Amino acid sequence: MVGYELPFRDELGFCNVLMSALGGDGANMAAKLLFKVGCEELGLDGGYDAKYGSEKKGTPTDVSVRFCEPGTLVRQVGPTTRPHILVVSHADLIRPLELNRGLRAGATCIVNTVKAPGAIRDELCLHSGKIVCVDATRIAFETKSRLNMPLLGVLAHELRFPDEAMRARIARQWPRVAEANLAACSGALTSMTAMEFGEDSYPFLPPLVTRGPIGWRNMLNGGTIDALTHTTAGRDNRLAGRGKVPEFHPESCTSCGICLTVCSDPGGLLWREGRMVGIDDRFCKGCMRCVEVCPETKKGKALTWVGVEVES
Amino acid sequence: MTVLASEPTRKTSTATQKSYLCNGNEAVARAILDIGYDAEGYYPITPSSDVGEAISKAYADGETDLAFIVGTSELAALGICTGVAVAGGRAVDVTSSQGLLLKAEQMPAISGLGLPMVLNLATRDVNAPLNIKNGHSDLYATLGWGWLIFMAPTVQAAYDMNIVAIRVAEAVNLPAIVAYDGFYTSHANRRISVFANRDDVQRFVGPAPFVKTLRGENGRFSLLDVQHPRTFGPYMNDDLINSKVQMDLKFERARAMLPEVFAEFERLSGRRYGFVEQYGDREAERCLVALNTAGEAAKDAVDALAEKGEPVNLVVPMVLRPWPEEEVVKAIGDAKRIVVAERASQYGAGNYLANEIGAGLQRHKNSATIIQRTYGIGGLNFTSDDALAMYELAKVWPKLSDPNERQVKWYYGAWPGDESYKPDQTLVPLTAEQCTLNAGKDGKVNLRDLSLMPNRFDKHSACPGCGIFTTLNLFLRGIDGQVVFLFNTGCGMVVTTGYPLTSFKVPYFHNLFHNASSTATGVVEMVKRFKARGELPEDVTVIAVTGDGGNDIGMDQVIGCALRNDPFILFEYDNKGYMNTGSQLCYTGFKAQRNSNAHLGPRQKGKMTHHKDIIEILRGTFAPYLATVSESHATDMIRKARKAQQTVREGGFAFVKAISVCPLNWGMDEHVGPSAVEAIVNACLHPLYEVEHGITRITVDADKGGRKIPVTEAFRKMGGAYRHLLTPEFEPLVREVQEEVDRRWQRLKAMAEHDLL
Ligand SMILES: Cc1ncc(C[n+]2csc(CCOP(=O)(O)OP(=O)(O)O)c2C)c(N)n1
Ligand code: SF4
Ligand code: SF4
Ligand code: SF4
Repeated sequence: MVGYELPFRDELGFCNVLMSALGGDGANMAAKLLFKVGCEELGLDGGYDAKYGSEKKGTPTDVSVRFCEPGTLVRQVGPTTRPHILVVSHADLIRPLELNRGLRAGATCIVNTVKAPGAIRDELCLHSGKIVCVDATRIAFETKSRLNMPLLGVLAHELRFPDEAMRARIARQWPRVAEANLAACSGALTSMTAMEFGEDSYPFLPPLVTRGPIGWRNMLNGGTIDALTHTTAGRDNRLAGRGKVPEFHPESCTSCGICLTVCSDPGGLLWREGRMVGIDDRFCKGCMRCVEVCPETKKGKALTWVGVEVES
Repeated sequence: MTVLASEPTRKTSTATQKSYLCNGNEAVARAILDIGYDAEGYYPITPSSDVGEAISKAYADGETDLAFIVGTSELAALGICTGVAVAGGRAVDVTSSQGLLLKAEQMPAISGLGLPMVLNLATRDVNAPLNIKNGHSDLYATLGWGWLIFMAPTVQAAYDMNIVAIRVAEAVNLPAIVAYDGFYTSHANRRISVFANRDDVQRFVGPAPFVKTLRGENGRFSLLDVQHPRTFGPYMNDDLINSKVQMDLKFERARAMLPEVFAEFERLSGRRYGFVEQYGDREAERCLVALNTAGEAAKDAVDALAEKGEPVNLVVPMVLRPWPEEEVVKAIGDAKRIVVAERASQYGAGNYLANEIGAGLQRHKNSATIIQRTYGIGGLNFTSDDALAMYELAKVWPKLSDPNERQVKWYYGAWPGDESYKPDQTLVPLTAEQCTLNAGKDGKVNLRDLSLMPNRFDKHSACPGCGIFTTLNLFLRGIDGQVVFLFNTGCGMVVTTGYPLTSFKVPYFHNLFHNASSTATGVVEMVKRFKARGELPEDVTVIAVTGDGGNDIGMDQVIGCALRNDPFILFEYDNKGYMNTGSQLCYTGFKAQRNSNAHLGPRQKGKMTHHKDIIEILRGTFAPYLATVSESHATDMIRKARKAQQTVREGGFAFVKAISVCPLNWGMDEHVGPSAVEAIVNACLHPLYEVEHGITRITVDADKGGRKIPVTEAFRKMGGAYRHLLTPEFEPLVREVQEEVDRRWQRLKAMAEHDLL
């Protein structure tokens, strides 16, 4: 495509995009589509790599797309650790995953959030660059699209991909939901807020290197885990559940125990001495199975659905 | 010296090609289709699984007529390939890691019998604790198995090397491995060139071999030649040594022909390959030797150093068998310090490549220093920055402050940890008293009372709404006292023990994918022994947990446990697929259901066989207790849990199978699970019953109270993956399923009515 220029370029000639998402967000699909548009419509070259692990719904996953001019040799593999553009599908991933690590000076960060760029800047401790905030969750909900679509729309915009090429491809890829997806992209572009920041507050941080307190000197024989000190008790599942927990109305509860038979995670429901006392919102996965089975009594159901997902 | 495929040296090629965006696995699948195989034997394992998925899709779409056969294990898949080859067909297989090792017994048999075929290896470390990421320890296991070994550092090379490999394999009657890096190549999407016309590829590799084989014109024979009967695979004594000589001579023939094959491939494609790829300055002092993606990534480091006026050399072997010693030594050139970086270790000895290169240098009177580093295990990548660190190491070694770094052999990227780290205790171990709530309750079940049963596990990372832990947790409320778990590989295992944290509050062991059952036998034997000696203070109930897939690959071992009547509970959660690896078909799946390797298309309509009935398989073992359970019938499940535990306490084997929803792969809303399993039970797709010493009792009779529903009503509840079964196109197949389900239900009822059955 004549006239198209990559907005960023590293030492090797690549513009590196990293998408940090949760399994089920559709980040892989979005990245793949972006890669195809870049290569097939714009004549770019590059790569699309993913850090595949166990992709259960709600577990963090990274996908990365790198673009270069044709003729550049694509030799590096694996997700980029030094993105020019970072896409964060849930603002609450920023802190636990230390997403500010490795961000290049002047990076663009696209974040799904209701917050303003200034607040996100401080959460990210962004050295310098641009923050684009978009309420992708709401837009996806309102347009009956998926979370990945508004984010993809903004990402393509920040990459300065021609709008028509992108929209045509999205429509072709998912013809049955083309309208919803395109509405989500447009909605994102009209409602996003962006702000640039100079190098005034935060230092540059190198990419994260895996290091933990347990290493080859003190790992237990054969990689055994000591359950007395290393249970998942302290884990916070709110990321995966996205703060979506049922509402509990104790006055309607007979402590019949039926919810207990269906709960996705035995840590989700709080029972004390044979009585149901509530939901542990740190572990509840927000599946609403318990709501489905909780019997209707004269006082109504003890467990009820909550509204739209909320950002914790 | 040779230059890499991503850097075409010849702009001209005789065959028309086109640009193709794909990942490494898709490139391999594309090569398989272009070559034209007679069959692929298949068994899924990450990160190679999607090769078979793409092939089965092409089959369903009518793009290929190759026989795509899903085995019950990797060994079965390769056995299928062996049968194809001995019949005279062209066979291909794909695997990784543990899957390769399960094939181990078959591998030298194939090469010893002189059967050409190609095995694609998406490399993955072989290990415990389990890690599914890259590593070359699987590849290294194959070095002495008599297979040609081609390396594919890029997505392009994964395609190209497949074409070269089958050509050479069939020419010398040896099998060949094409090794490409798991994830880094298998899942890397790149733009590559593929041949536009299959004819060009098929001309290069030669026609399908059957006719020539039948006539004995290619140095081998077909088992199907009844006019000229031959005995394949005889029993051989001292003569065996001559067979070994023959194998070595075949490798020499391969070595002799490879340059011309590579040259011919270059004329065809414009891409040049060779025994080894040398990059940078052959006269440089420092050299790095690395395989596959690491070698490729290191080229950017070589360029960067050259720009700074620091010439270095890089050597990337492209063929490991036959080992190109001459070429490697020549490529290393004048280097005085060579870092040999490997994605594997030979613990307690020098690493493989380093040893091989050291021996070669010595034979060539070259006394360069070799420094060995193991890198990139368990998900650690190797980028140009890491290559720069290797060149720096070559420069400064052994003048390093860390004594470990001064060693000839060490690990790059490992960390020592903090020995003063003493985390707080967060778990109070459960006591048997706390966990005794069912004793003396007989048939009475009070769910509210059972809420007092402490969780034996919680806080896992399964998908919201997953049935596995719902079901298992409910079952455990009916199990008293101390519990010890053994898990097969599968979602249940993967989401509970991400190092260094565990969801289990009781002892737990994950061994392999298929043998939690046999492992349990070993454990319960020791329980008996140590108890008898008075050395084990507490009673324990051993529970082995597996997915339905684990009971495909591990069926023989389960039968063994049942026949020996080993006192443990084997709990199967059946979610109708191999969910952990991406929803491939399990034999438990319903006919016509869709899986990632059983597609819907003009030629194929999903899974081709009816669902496996494991209780009926185990009935013949006359094990004391077999039962099916569902979370929709909680009291029924608790009663069966109690019976299972009673059976085990009396010294017998108990098998319990639960239906378990998978919202992710069934495409089902997360909250629907409870009503979906109820529908499955009511449709008799998973009838609830028990078999005690061969005597059947139906515990939930769907015919009572008019609960029985058509199978379609259950499929409707089961989510998007089953939606097609409601369309008119699938009506005939669904009718077949209904008839089969009804037939089995009637049989079951007949057995239940009979005193002896
Ligand atoms: C020998 C071997 N082959 C293949 C695998 C890859 N593998 C791991 S889990 C799995 C599927 C498990 O399926 P299932 O038992 O049904 O459990 P689920 O994933 O559904 O929980 C496979 C194929 C392996 N680990 N080892
Ligand atoms: S199912 Fe409803 S009524 Fe019964 S214990 Fe749970 S919350 Fe209470
Ligand atoms: S929504 Fe209900 S059933 Fe689901 S995890 Fe939360 S408490 Fe458990
Ligand atoms: S993929 Fe399916 S079986 Fe595996 S954790 Fe998710 S819902 Fe459960």
